[in-house]
Formats: sequence, C-alpha cells, structure tokens
Amino acid sequence: MSTPISRGTFLKGLAGCGIAVLAGKTYVEWLHPSLNFPCRMLGPSKEIAHLLRNHSVEDRGAPKEAISTRVTIVGGGMAGLSAGWWLKKHGIDDFVILDLEQDVGGNSSCGKNEIGSYPWGAHYVPICNPESIYVREFFEELGIIQGHDDAGLPIYDELMLCHEPQERLWKDGSFHDGLVPKRGLQKDELEEIARFFKTVVDYRNATGSDGKLAFAIPLDLSSQDSKFLALDKISMEQWLDDNGFRTKPLRWYVNYCCRDDYGSILNNVSAWAGIHYFAGRRGLAANSEPNSVITWPQGNGFLVEKLKSILTKQIQVGSLVTKVSNENAKVLTTMMDSKTRAYRAISSNFVIFAAPRFVGSKVVANQKFAHSQDLSYAPWMVANISLKNLPDARGLPPAWDNVSYYSDSLGYVMANHQDVTTRSKPNVITYYYPLSESDPKVSRQALYTANPEQWSQRIVEDLQKMHPTIASEIISMDLWPWGHGMIRPTVGFIWGDVRRRMKDRDGNIIFAHSDMSGMSNFEEAQYHGVEAAKTVLSGLSSG
Amino acid sequence: MTYALLITAFVISTCGLIYELIAGTIASYLLGDSITQFSTVIGVYLFSMGIGSFLSRYIEKNVAFTFVQVELLIGLVGGCSASLLFLLFEHVDNFRILLYSLVSIIGILIGLEIPLLMRILKERLDFKELVSQVFTFDYIGALLASLLFPLVLVPYLGLIRTSFLFGLFNLGVAIWTIHLFREQLPWKNSLKTTAYLLIIALVCGFAFADKLTGIAEASAYPDPVIYSTNTPYQRIVITGNTKDLRLFLNGNLQFSSRDEYRYHEALVHPAMASMDNPQDILVLGGGDGLAVRELLKYPSVRSITLVDLDKRMIDLFKEQVLLTRLNGGSLNDAKVSVVISDAFVWLRSAPKKFDLAIVDFPDPSNYSLGKLYSDTFYKALKSALKPEGMVVVQSTSPYYAKNSFWCVDKTLASVGFHTTPYHAYVPSFGDWGYVIGSLEPFKPADEKRYPPGLRYVSDTTVAQMLCFAKDMLPTISSVNRLNNQSLVHLFESEWSEYVDAH
Repeated sequence: MSTPISRGTFLKGLAGCGIAVLAGKTYVEWLHPSLNFPCRMLGPSKEIAHLLRNHSVEDRGAPKEAISTRVTIVGGGMAGLSAGWWLKKHGIDDFVILDLEQDVGGNSSCGKNEIGSYPWGAHYVPICNPESIYVREFFEELGIIQGHDDAGLPIYDELMLCHEPQERLWKDGSFHDGLVPKRGLQKDELEEIARFFKTVVDYRNATGSDGKLAFAIPLDLSSQDSKFLALDKISMEQWLDDNGFRTKPLRWYVNYCCRDDYGSILNNVSAWAGIHYFAGRRGLAANSEPNSVITWPQGNGFLVEKLKSILTKQIQVGSLVTKVSNENAKVLTTMMDSKTRAYRAISSNFVIFAAPRFVGSKVVANQKFAHSQDLSYAPWMVANISLKNLPDARGLPPAWDNVSYYSDSLGYVMANHQDVTTRSKPNVITYYYPLSESDPKVSRQALYTANPEQWSQRIVEDLQKMHPTIASEIISMDLWPWGHGMIRPTVGFIWGDVRRRMKDRDGNIIFAHSDMSGMSNFEEAQYHGVEAAKTVLSGLSSG
Repeated sequence: MTYALLITAFVISTCGLIYELIAGTIASYLLGDSITQFSTVIGVYLFSMGIGSFLSRYIEKNVAFTFVQVELLIGLVGGCSASLLFLLFEHVDNFRILLYSLVSIIGILIGLEIPLLMRILKERLDFKELVSQVFTFDYIGALLASLLFPLVLVPYLGLIRTSFLFGLFNLGVAIWTIHLFREQLPWKNSLKTTAYLLIIALVCGFAFADKLTGIAEASAYPDPVIYSTNTPYQRIVITGNTKDLRLFLNGNLQFSSRDEYRYHEALVHPAMASMDNPQDILVLGGGDGLAVRELLKYPSVRSITLVDLDKRMIDLFKEQVLLTRLNGGSLNDAKVSVVISDAFVWLRSAPKKFDLAIVDFPDPSNYSLGKLYSDTFYKALKSALKPEGMVVVQSTSPYYAKNSFWCVDKTLASVGFHTTPYHAYVPSFGDWGYVIGSLEPFKPADEKRYPPGLRYVSDTTVAQMLCFAKDMLPTISSVNRLNNQSLVHLFESEWSEYVDAH
C-alpha cells in the first residue's frame, strides 16, 4: 500500500520531528548539564621563568653593590628547604633561600579553598626505611614519628598514616580494593602476578657483593654490584619480556606504577628504576602494615609548611636567579625581583644550587656540566576538582587513591581523606595525568596549547567513565600544568655517566636536586639537600 | 505497509519482554530470592500470554481496531507497571496478589498482540511467509530487549524510567497503526486523542521519575510518618502511633519510645552510679537528649556538654512537644550546653576535663563513623578525662556482631583503659552492648547509689549485664585503627551474615 505523502502531512511530520528533537535535546541537557563550573588555569610562573630561556635577562649588568651571606640556596623546593633545615640545625643562620614563585614548595606545593587543602604535586611519603636516616631524623623532629616500641619500631602519628580504605581500582564495571587487578583474571594471570611479587620481594631482600642493599632509599646507598647495575641498561619492558611476564593485567599494573612514580611508560623506564619502585620500600612501623604511607590533605605541602616555619627569616620568594658564577673563592648570585624587575646580587662563600638542572644550564656561568639536553623531564597535568558530594561508591566507598584500569590518567586522590570529620560534605579530589606517551617536548606543547575548557572537558570525560554523573557534582576545577614535572629515569641514566657528573660540584657551587637521582620524590630531594648542606658545612669549617 | 507491520512485531516483542524483566527484577528487589521471583513471574507471564492468544479467537470484527486498543492498554499498564509496583509495595496487604495480577494483565494483552497482528497481515502474505517473518521479528526483538535491559536500561535509566519509555513505544505503535489504517478505523479521533493524552502522561512520568522514587521510599515506614526532614547530614524521620514514637536516621531505627529507657538507663547508670562525685559530663552524639535526661537524675552533676553534629536534630529535640515530653526537656536544662561540632575535631581541642564521657554514636557502618571508634579517637578521649575519669561507649550488639563488639573493647584497652564490657536486652534492637573504659578499675555501684525511679537498671541487673554467654565471645581479635578500619570490616561482614541468613 503506497500512499503518496501530501504536503500537509509532510509539514506536520517535519514539525513533529522538530519538536521531538527539541524535547530530546532539552531532556539530554537536563540529564547531562553542560560543564558550567568555573575553571582556572594556574601553575608555575612560566612567563617569568621563560625570560631565562629567551635570554632576555642574560646580559643585564649585575648591580655594583652585592650584599653578602655565608650561603645562598637557589630553589625553595624540597631539596633547597632540606638543605636550609640542615644548615640551621647545625648553627648556620646567615643564608638565604631564593625562589622564583610567590611561595616555596616546588613539586610539593599545595593550595587551599573554602572546602579544604589539597596538593598540587607530591602528596605522600612511604614510611621510612632504616637506611633513610635523614628522613627519620626529620620525621622525629616534626613528631610524625612519635616514639618507638619495645622492638625499636617507630610509632607514627596515626592521623597521618593513610587511613582505610586506601586504594580502589575501577575494573569491569565496579571498584575493587587495591590497585593490583583482581577481578575476572585467568589462572595464568593470577600466577604471573604472584610470581612478579615474589621476584620483587627477593630483590627487596637482596644485597650485593659489596654487602650493600640492592635497592636502597636514597638510591645512592644502593649496592654497586654489577649484576644489579646491569638492570639499568635495559628497559622495564625488556626486563618483563626477559622474565616471561607477559599477561596484560600485570603489565598494566607495572606500567601504571611507572607512570605514577616516573611519569613514563614501560619502554622508557630503566628496569633498575622500575624494580626500585617495588623493591626499595622496606619501611616498618609499630602501628601499621609494612610499606604503608603517610599523607596529609595538602600532600607534601604539609612538610613544606613545617620547613617554612623553621626558615621564615631565610626565605625570599619572587626572586628569579639570573646568573650564578664563581668569582675569586666567592660565588656571586644575581637575581631579579619578579614584581619590580629590579636586580640585586648576593656574594656568598657557597651556593647550593637546588633548582632543576635544566634551569642550571641557563643560569650557572661557565659551567662544567654540559649534558642538560640528555635530561628528560615528564610533563604533568594536575587538577583539583571541588565536588558537592563524595564520588559514588559503585562497588566500594571512595578510597584515598582511586584508579581506573581503562584510563591514561592516574585517577584521583581524595584530598580530604585524612579528615576525621563525619558524614559526606563537599570534597576536593586531586586528579593526576602524566603526559607519558609521547616525546616530552611534544607533550609539553600539548600541555600548554590546550585551553582550560579543553582540559576540563577531557578530564570530566575521563572521570565520567568511572562516575557517569560526576559533571553535575563539580563546583569548580583548577588546573596546574607542570611543564617539567619530574625527571625520568630513562634507560642507562641512573648508573650512567651523566648522572655521575651531575653530582660534581662546580667550584663553590654545590648542586642538590632530585633530578640528580633520576627520580623525583621527597627522599631523594631531601638526601641531596642534606648532602649539599654537609659539604658546605665542612667547607665553611675548613675555610 | 507489510514491513511497517513487521517492524511493529519487533517493537511490541521488545516491549513485552522488557515488562516481564521489570516485573521479575522488582519482585526480586522487594521480596528477595531472585530465583523464585523470576521463575514465577516468567511462568505467570507466559501462561497469561497463552490466555491472551486463546482469547484472540473471540475477536471477530475489526481486528485493527482491537489491536490499537490493546496497544493503548499495554502502553498504559506496562508503562506504569514499575512505578505502580514500587509505590504500592508498602500500601497493599499482599504484594504478590498485586504483582501477579499486573503480570497477568500485561501477559494477556501481550498474548493478544501477535495473533492479532498475524491476522492483520494474513491478507498480505501467504501462511508460510507470515509465520516465518512475524516470528523472526518477534525473536529478534526479544534478543534486543534481553541485552538492552541489563546493559543499558537498568544502569542508565533505572527501572521506573525504563518502564515509562517502553510504554511510550507501545503508544507509538498504536499511533502508527491508527495512521496506517486511518481509512477503515472507527472512532479514529477518540483513539488518537486517548493515545496523545497517554503519551503526555507517560512523558511526565518519565521526566519526574525521581520524584516518584522519593515518594516510594518515604512510604517504607511501618507507622505513619509524623515528621521528616533532610538535614545536611542525614534524613530524620519520626513515626508515631498512639503507643509508640520512633526515630529513624537515614532509615535506621534509633529508638522506640516503648523501650528506649532500657537502652539509655543501661548506657548511663552503671558508669554514673559507680562514680564518687561525677560533676562534669561529656556526651558525644546523642542529640535526642535521652542520655542527658538520665544524667540529670544525679544531683552531683554540675555541667553536661553535649557535642552533636546536627543542629536541626538538636533543635527538634529542644522544641517539639512530643519529643521534649520524651526527653523531659533535658536539652533546655541550665546545666546543659550544646556544642554543634564534629566530635573528633572538637575533642582534639576540648576546653576542659570531664569525669565521664558518654559516647553514643551510630554503629560503625561506614568509614567516617569507623574513625569515631579508632584508637586515635580514644586517645583523644582519654586526654579529655580527669584522672579518675571514665568513658562508656555504645558498642553495637555482642550477639549479632560479636567480633565488632569485642573490637571496641580491645581498642579501648589498647590505649590504656581498664575495660568493662556489658550488655542489656532492648526489645526493639535486640541484645545490645556497651563498654566502660576507666582509668581506675571499675567497681559496680551498690544498690543505694542508683537514683530512684529507674525502671530497668539496678545492682542486680548490672550484675547480670556483666555476664557473657559463650556465643557472645569473640573469635577474631583486632584493634581498630584509622589505617586499618578493622571494625568497619568486621561490622559489615557480621551484619551482612545476619541479614543473609534471615
């Protein structure tokens, strides 16, 4: 039966379709409101810092008059602050800490809004190994370690030990506890995971022919036995292949850990570093499981605040160091005030250069170290997202660390997790996204060219895979792009020539930064800071 | 037109299976035991379809007209089925009668559909083609429905919206059919009007499904709801009949006025009466003022500080006559000062020291409540006590959740309290447990130390409360810490076992 459609019917049909489309659109918008929360792009002051890169400050003459201090510390990140902490502990007050930003902290920076505090980078520290003596001393001083039990195990402040539930993984439609994939695994996949953990525990307990631990924290205390150092010459991917670790869930997990700690993927991380992540941590506590972590709402910003309160007199923020040069047994530091753009100079017996080396390559005059192009820094995007309510449970209530098996991001951390307040209320989640896939230069470009709307769109879409209704819960989103977020332990870097030369002093300029370890974390930064301070102390006492 | 009608077969079979799945799922949700529910729902449904097919022989004339009417009815009944089942669950005496009647009605109507459709099509196709084509589309529709339902519809739309949506599809088929047979249908305009009115109704139902869900949940209480409010922290519901007043927080019973005296006397008096001269008392939680009522029976009491999170709850128990009658207006007493704060946060900077702290929090059913039962919390509590101070903690049921109960005991002991666990029978709760933590060893009071007029607690009942039968002794021992939350894990597993078993 074929009826020719009359003009009237056609028009009616057209009108009907129009109305249906409008109604459908309204309804869809009602269900999925558009992203209309405020979104800000914050981040380290790259305009000021890029003055260095563009050489536009290079040849501005140094002021004639220089004030003098015994020591100048360039960089107020964890290494610089730790160096200051150590100097102060050992009776030196006459020093300054210069930082380009309006606040110190570097990768351990934090922020605060009406809901609470949150980290912009580093956000936890594992309980410390016996050999991590500087960390232990610092923790005891701050009362993070409150005492020791009869067996000599440290008792940690339980408000800081990460509260239960600690981790959950989104896989196959709901969350399960822990980050090691569990649900829906085949027998061989489970066996491989078990074999992997046995292998890394063996490494954890291993010592080399020199009697030292195979994997120590700080890593410079590790054994120099060539059978362990050989691991640095292959990638983590190669090592997994060589040892028959082939199944997807395990490789996902190991890759996740490399992205998490090094901002890099399996084929780009040295196997020594990859194994160090699992085998390095041997912390014990009287009142917690082995290898637990301590954390705070503001992340490692908590430690920064403590150090800041010790070093208020020494810290000078908003100071862009433009040149550091050895001059007749003294070191001259020239800097620009980031607000007034006025130049000042400081003459010191020693400079502890605690900024990353890619900055050093532009600032230190006539430097001996000429390999900064070999250093690889991972770009990151960090977002702090304020939510009206807790994210949905979907299998398990929100944990401290919430990760998706299906995402390129590292998931999110509940910034308010350590709060002891009751019941649900607005929360901040910190979302971490390492741009680990492509070449750092390319991803750095991608990091900066996308605007805040594009980034927030991308982040919301990623979170919606775990939480379909999250868009309507968002109060606001702040973004923090890290162009040079973390040094990457690329193949051959940790035990290679470049890193060895990074540790050399340059006249009276002593270097201290976690990039000298090839790993960006609190323990390494603090170690280099304290070691540099020790060198300076012995130099001052002999000079 | 033949293909238009075959697509109709596809749509109506999808809708038919969806209604069956909705009924089965709701029955499993509300009545439990999904195997029985699905099995009986499917059985009744298929049997009713048989009845429908049988009845189709009695439709002699104007098959298309009847088909449209059937579609309109299915759209209405099927479309509203989920909301009807949810809304009426609390209001009908026998839910199964409602369930199976609804399933039968839908089944009979669905049973009519395919035979009618085949008769409409018989003039256009030969028999072999007809049977093959109609059933092909019918079964494809069934497959689609069975895949869509669990993967897309339930997770994204929910049951109520799904049922409205598929009702709309049936109405769409009705309108389509009216259009196809516009030449031969009687009452064409009234059929059309009915269809459009029903569409408007179902679209409204679809759009306001959340409201309907809310109404369905509010009717989940046995007695009439006399007051209900949402505070930033919880949903407070008070129900009452002539003999009994009950308070529910987030759906969980907090007290029944018939036996709350047992719970609160047992919470307060064993510790209070044992103390020499208790003056400054701290109450954490307990915004209903019932523990305070018991405390005010001691003339030695100089001050009572009550810390509760929820101002609305406090205001309610200060002002509503029904409730102040129950707590004796205790919260308005001059000795009582109320602090609106989070107990843990407040305790860490407590302004003074107390003789006795009464800890009356909800059970540790989630991680944020679990923190209020942690060793860190008890350490803070201990440092807020005078040298001979005491605490008493409501510690869930030592019968239903024995390891949870003893975990509270162990946790208190781990921070240096002498612990005295005890329990009392409260009919509306069951056998309920408490732990006294004291800085000096606890000695129960003798008879004359108890205030006059108690209905439950005396020196002899306290002696009984201290005895634990074998089935209440722990099998797992652990200290609840912030970084293990072992109490929440125990509590969850123990109560879920109880719920599963009954």
